[in-house]
Amino acid sequence: MPEVVSYTYRAELTKDAQLRFISHLDYAALVERAICRAKLPVVYSEGFNPHMKLSFASALALGVTSESEYMEFILSKDLCQPEVFDKLSSQLPDGVRLKALKKIEGKHKALMALADEARYRISFSTANPLSEWETAVSEFNNAESCFFQRKTPKKTRDIEIKQYMIGQLEIEANDGLIELSASVKITQQGSVKPAEILEYLRKSSGSEYDISNVEIRRTALLCGGRNLMDVM
Amino acid sequence: MVRITSDILQSVVKPARYTGNEWNSVHKKWEDVSCHFALSMPDVYEVGMSNLGLKILYEILNNREDTWAERVYAPWIDMEEEMRSRNIPLYSLESFTELNKFDFIGFSLQFEMCFTTVLNMLDLSGINVWAKDRGDDEPFIIGGGPCVYNVEPVADFFDLFLIGEAEEALPELVEVFCEWKKEGRPNGRGEFLKRAARVRGIYVPSLYVPQYDEKGMYTGLQTIGEDTPPVIYKRIIQDMDSVATMERPIVPYIDIVHNRIMLELFRGCSRGCRFCQAGVAYRPVRERTESRLRELARKMIDVTGYDEISLTSLSSADYSCLGGLVDNLMNDFSCEKVGFTLPSLRIDSFSIDLADKMQQIRKSGLTFAPEAGTQRMRDVINKGVTEEDLLKATGAAFKKGWKTVKLYFMIGLPTETDEDVIGIAELAQKVVNHYKETTGRKDVKVTISVSCFVPKAFTAFQWFGQNTLEEFSRKQMLIKEHIKDRSIHYNYHDAHVSLLEGVLARGDRRLSGVIYSAWKNGSRFDGWTDQFDESRWTRAFEENNIDPAQYNIRERAFDEVFPWEHTTPGVSRAFLKHEYEKAVAESLTKDCRRGDCTGCGICQKLGVNIVDWGKERA
Ligand code: SF4
Repeated sequence: MPEVVSYTYRAELTKDAQLRFISHLDYAALVERAICRAKLPVVYSEGFNPHMKLSFASALALGVTSESEYMEFILSKDLCQPEVFDKLSSQLPDGVRLKALKKIEGKHKALMALADEARYRISFSTANPLSEWETAVSEFNNAESCFFQRKTPKKTRDIEIKQYMIGQLEIEANDGLIELSASVKITQQGSVKPAEILEYLRKSSGSEYDISNVEIRRTALLCGGRNLMDVM
Repeated sequence: MVRITSDILQSVVKPARYTGNEWNSVHKKWEDVSCHFALSMPDVYEVGMSNLGLKILYEILNNREDTWAERVYAPWIDMEEEMRSRNIPLYSLESFTELNKFDFIGFSLQFEMCFTTVLNMLDLSGINVWAKDRGDDEPFIIGGGPCVYNVEPVADFFDLFLIGEAEEALPELVEVFCEWKKEGRPNGRGEFLKRAARVRGIYVPSLYVPQYDEKGMYTGLQTIGEDTPPVIYKRIIQDMDSVATMERPIVPYIDIVHNRIMLELFRGCSRGCRFCQAGVAYRPVRERTESRLRELARKMIDVTGYDEISLTSLSSADYSCLGGLVDNLMNDFSCEKVGFTLPSLRIDSFSIDLADKMQQIRKSGLTFAPEAGTQRMRDVINKGVTEEDLLKATGAAFKKGWKTVKLYFMIGLPTETDEDVIGIAELAQKVVNHYKETTGRKDVKVTISVSCFVPKAFTAFQWFGQNTLEEFSRKQMLIKEHIKDRSIHYNYHDAHVSLLEGVLARGDRRLSGVIYSAWKNGSRFDGWTDQFDESRWTRAFEENNIDPAQYNIRERAFDEVFPWEHTTPGVSRAFLKHEYEKAVAESLTKDCRRGDCTGCGICQKLGVNIVDWGKERA
């Protein structure tokens, strides 16, 4: 058997507003098709039903946009970075932008297992005064624990939010909108969704926000505080 | 421009149905074009996006500089609720423009059970559902697709119909429109419709007034205007190689019913099954050349990134050089992991070998359509398949490792006896036994899916009275009683739906009131089992004083004039009558594809020829 040489590439991509209602699986499929169209020499799995070897870091909740999606794919040829970058970029649909690409040398951990922190920015409009939201945020920051009822179609359970928070929840007013910045832990046992933090604040403060105008963006996905592009 | 806020999208299932902007979707500037055409299927996104005809027309229209074709599908119940409660009108998926701002809305009518969804979509767009009520500022509503061979039940809701293949006729219509528009829309919409009626293949129902005698029997049509053609023959493409077609299919963001490239090998099927309307409607057979097919496959893979191509046709295995084509395609794409599938398998071992070579996924099983349980019955319907053929084909499949087989049948066919019905259970049993004999094992699953026969316009059985509900139910139970083996799984269709289809498929214009009432009573998505509610239709018939049995159950006289005969595929009535007589006599008619002409009259009437590369070579 000749030894199969392969080259792993890691990419940093966006998922913008027009694609935020595409599920994680469908997002992966659209990237896969873009790679096909780009005619990159990708490596497929062996077997009866070969598929592209493609892996992603942490999945994104439906409705959330992102500046920091990460994926890895494997090529059978050692192509130079600009060539792969340009070919792939030209085939990505509106709403996905290739921000960075790099060939990964040597041993490295699975991308899936790397991310341990996610940062989000939540912006919304509200009729309540900023001060009410500021009070709610500072109460949240000072509290030992905050419980939230998570409802899924299957069951309802209480989760404690504070255990997942890294640092302080920040709030600022910007152009008539309120912006929250949160940094949360991603653990094997789970995490908290940014929308849940917002819901918690709404309930605890008795304030309301305009549900048709909420935007949540993942601004970073990190490992030990470093961008996933820089961690092996 | 319509804006759908994120809270709406957050609350409905599959929000990507409503957000558009897919790869290969076409975007133009609204002001830059003179004809705005919304192409639609009265069904959900996943179904509408899978329709080959609409994909073809999307490209043909968008290749014109003066036209922008956009898409719109029926919002599912949850989205409709959101839209109605917030007064959001139906909009197009490209420019998010309200549908009532378009020049045309074209509906592809695939089956009768979509009719109420058409009305619902018009209503959601704020467009008058009755054509006669539409003003000069409203779009022209045009219908196409297989239902045009009897559109009378919905004729009052449409401004025009396109009969037959639209690749050439639709651009001609657009030209007439642009001309009329450039002249400043003289004399309003009536003038345009008059001009449109002169385009071959266009039917403008308001120019035809149905006549009935004192007993209420249909006697014919009175045409309005001097040059209104009394009969509209279908349009047909002679040369499938040179006609403009799909080359850049849209790649959806979510999974759809046919989420793959459709490569249309040929159009038409001349096997001559006597129950089958498509077999008449798409005649004669016209193949594409292998080189054109390979060229199209290459183009479409390159611009989509799909990894699967379906070799589409009414009966793909009949393509004259299928074996060679498959070998060459597999070769062309050997480095790219492109898979190929055959949507319909012929009942022979050639098809099995091919399916095996193409590595069709085994878990989904194989599907065959013997249609009837006994040889006698199969001779009546001219299904040229014997029991031996079926056992040979399934035997070949079992040897290659398949364990599940699905068999399609119909009940309620002309001359059917209980013996024929029981024959369905018996044939399934024979397939099960054959598996045990071939493999020595018992782990087989044979599913029989039994539908209730609906007689259709322009078939040999267009005179036949459909079975009653009681008769269908009795036959469904009869099959059940005769299934003795646990390996046989039995599905049967809801006879209520088939009986309603039976009414609409051979109905006349008086049914428009019934369809309107059914929609008012809440009907839409009638083709979806979980949405269909029989009682809405029962009430609709009562409200309009119409006895459905007059349309479906009644056996029709050979000299009766039919309300659908003016929009025709060109088949001769004498041929159909002769076929019915031959059916009763259990006598077969041969396939004209490679043999002699059997006299259906379509080639002569329309001035077209069969194109079959196997026949050329022979
Ligand atoms: S006219 Fe003759 S050859 Fe042509 S489709 Fe009919 S039967 Fe076949």
